[in-house]
Amino acid sequence: MKRLTYQEALVQALREEMHRDESIFLLGQDIGVFGGSLKSFKGLWEEFGPTDRMIETPLSESVMVEACVGAAMMGMRPVVQVKFGEFLPLVMHSIACDASCVWYYSAGKARVPMVLRTLFGIGPHRGHPQDYHSWLLNVPGLKVVMPSTPYDAKGLMKSAIRDDNPVIFFEHMRLYHGSRQEIPEEEYTIPLGLADVKREGNDVTVVATAVMVHRALDAAENLSREGIEVEVVDLRTLAPMDKATVLASVKKTGRLVVVHETWKIGGSGGEVSAMVAEEIFEYLKAPIVRVAPPHVPIPFSLPLEKMFVPDEQKIKEAIRTVLAK
Amino acid sequence: MLLENDDLLSMYRLMMLGRTFDQEITKKKGGWHATEGEEATIVGTFYNLKKDDVVVPHYRGSVLVSYMRGAPLWRLVAGIMGKATGFTRGRYRGDLCGPVEFNIIGMISGTLGPTISLGTGAALAAKLKKTNNVAVVSFGDGTSNRGEFHEAINLAAVLDLPAVFICQNNQYSISTHVSKALRCNSVADRAVGYGIPGIEVDGNDVMEIYTAVQESVKRAREGDGPTLIEAKTYRLGGHMAGDPELYRQKQEVEKWKKKDPLPRFKKKLIDMGVLTENKVQEIQKAVKEEIFVAIRMADEQPFAGEKELGIDDIFAPAKGKREEK
Repeated sequence: MKRLTYQEALVQALREEMHRDESIFLLGQDIGVFGGSLKSFKGLWEEFGPTDRMIETPLSESVMVEACVGAAMMGMRPVVQVKFGEFLPLVMHSIACDASCVWYYSAGKARVPMVLRTLFGIGPHRGHPQDYHSWLLNVPGLKVVMPSTPYDAKGLMKSAIRDDNPVIFFEHMRLYHGSRQEIPEEEYTIPLGLADVKREGNDVTVVATAVMVHRALDAAENLSREGIEVEVVDLRTLAPMDKATVLASVKKTGRLVVVHETWKIGGSGGEVSAMVAEEIFEYLKAPIVRVAPPHVPIPFSLPLEKMFVPDEQKIKEAIRTVLAK
Repeated sequence: MLLENDDLLSMYRLMMLGRTFDQEITKKKGGWHATEGEEATIVGTFYNLKKDDVVVPHYRGSVLVSYMRGAPLWRLVAGIMGKATGFTRGRYRGDLCGPVEFNIIGMISGTLGPTISLGTGAALAAKLKKTNNVAVVSFGDGTSNRGEFHEAINLAAVLDLPAVFICQNNQYSISTHVSKALRCNSVADRAVGYGIPGIEVDGNDVMEIYTAVQESVKRAREGDGPTLIEAKTYRLGGHMAGDPELYRQKQEVEKWKKKDPLPRFKKKLIDMGVLTENKVQEIQKAVKEEIFVAIRMADEQPFAGEKELGIDDIFAPAKGKREEK
């Protein structure tokens, strides 16, 4: 077992998959000698470049992703990086109008086995924090992945690469060079579409993703001292969503808090809440509470940023609110 | 490849089929985007390509190109009508998007521009797989002003991709004359900016366009990168059936009717001794019969139903699992 960071685990997944399957290629900006933004491709160029396995491109996100869709339709397995989630709107057409539809519209004659990697979230460098993942959930035919730990990041990346559908893979910048985790030497994958109960508890269910999983876990630990047992469900894959795990947890606890780093209006937490209300309303002992940033653009100044992003305190307040009813 | 007499007759037949198909399908279905006047560009561009080459035709001419690639006409008509036996099973409009099983990448979405990038991706796949295949991509003068045109051709140029880009300049994007949308004389002039060859041809001369495309294809196959061709032609009909064409003068259309590629090619072939008036009548009759049969067969097909809606068919299953079925 080796202890790896989130970033190292992702690179290890890419390396292993590149060795396993020759049809995989990596495409992006500054992924060569530079090593990719935040070292997201560190060491791979030394091993696979400069060959057709790694392609550095000009600043042309639109063609980068769309060309990968075309190459995927013709039998390749591209992994394309759109450096930051902030740039996803530049490639929205390729993702939402083309990649997502190819299998369905071609009546199963063409596939798009493509992974789109993107760095997002309010991280230590604080640039490019935009989290637009919720927009994608509205589109049929896309898979959306957002790991919260090094172990999950590696296992999910391997599954994403092996999947025959377009997968949008969100890599959180605050987690990137964060705490290490033991990664098994032997091969493993984590299926897409499977949530993970990161902590068990009988009183309240907190559904979270990425950094918010860790803040929810901190909140849970502290509340445990007061005798409140919180169950933390890490969605890991937002589309397709693991309804069964969420529903089973809420059936058990009867109380739901949903937390994410993106806005509440039209956010993925609304989908989780609606799904629970629609399917197991009778199990709810209290109204659902969503924890999300205020509805303003992400502010820059550090004090403003602190007010913006959900923290342990806000999550604890939400848990107390659902318990009070 | 030099054209034999049989090729010339075959090209003439295809142009005739395109023209006749326009007339007959307009009677069946509203909203048809006719290719009238542009048949030489379409046939000249896509004639004599290899089965494994990828073609990415402009939507105006997509059905004719699909037919040229070997798709049965009745299934193409079924696709236009939304029948269950069309190539997309009624899931997408067959008038704009050709079947991928013939190595056609069509307009998967209704957006002009991304297809240039998809074609660039197909060329990238050909290069990575070292197949010696090329991608031949056509688009309109309107599309040449989309950002994807720039990003895709620039990327194809810097990566030396085996692609040929043909602007099917029919001088109108719906109602906007090309003079209001381009300051340069020819879209081919822009090739200088990408450091690739730019060729301007008479798009109403099927042999001229054929020669230019074939030379570019040869260059692409030899690893010498992409070419940008502008084929100047004219849209003799409206943007689509029922267009009152308030934006142009009748005299302008009359002037271009004198340059109609069909009678022009016919005269040339008669002068060459390849064709006779009798043979023209024969071809016309045979083409009409072929179209009537195709439309009749398509008429008899069932409309798409619940099975084709495919609510469980938005994702491609893993290949192994599909084979097990």
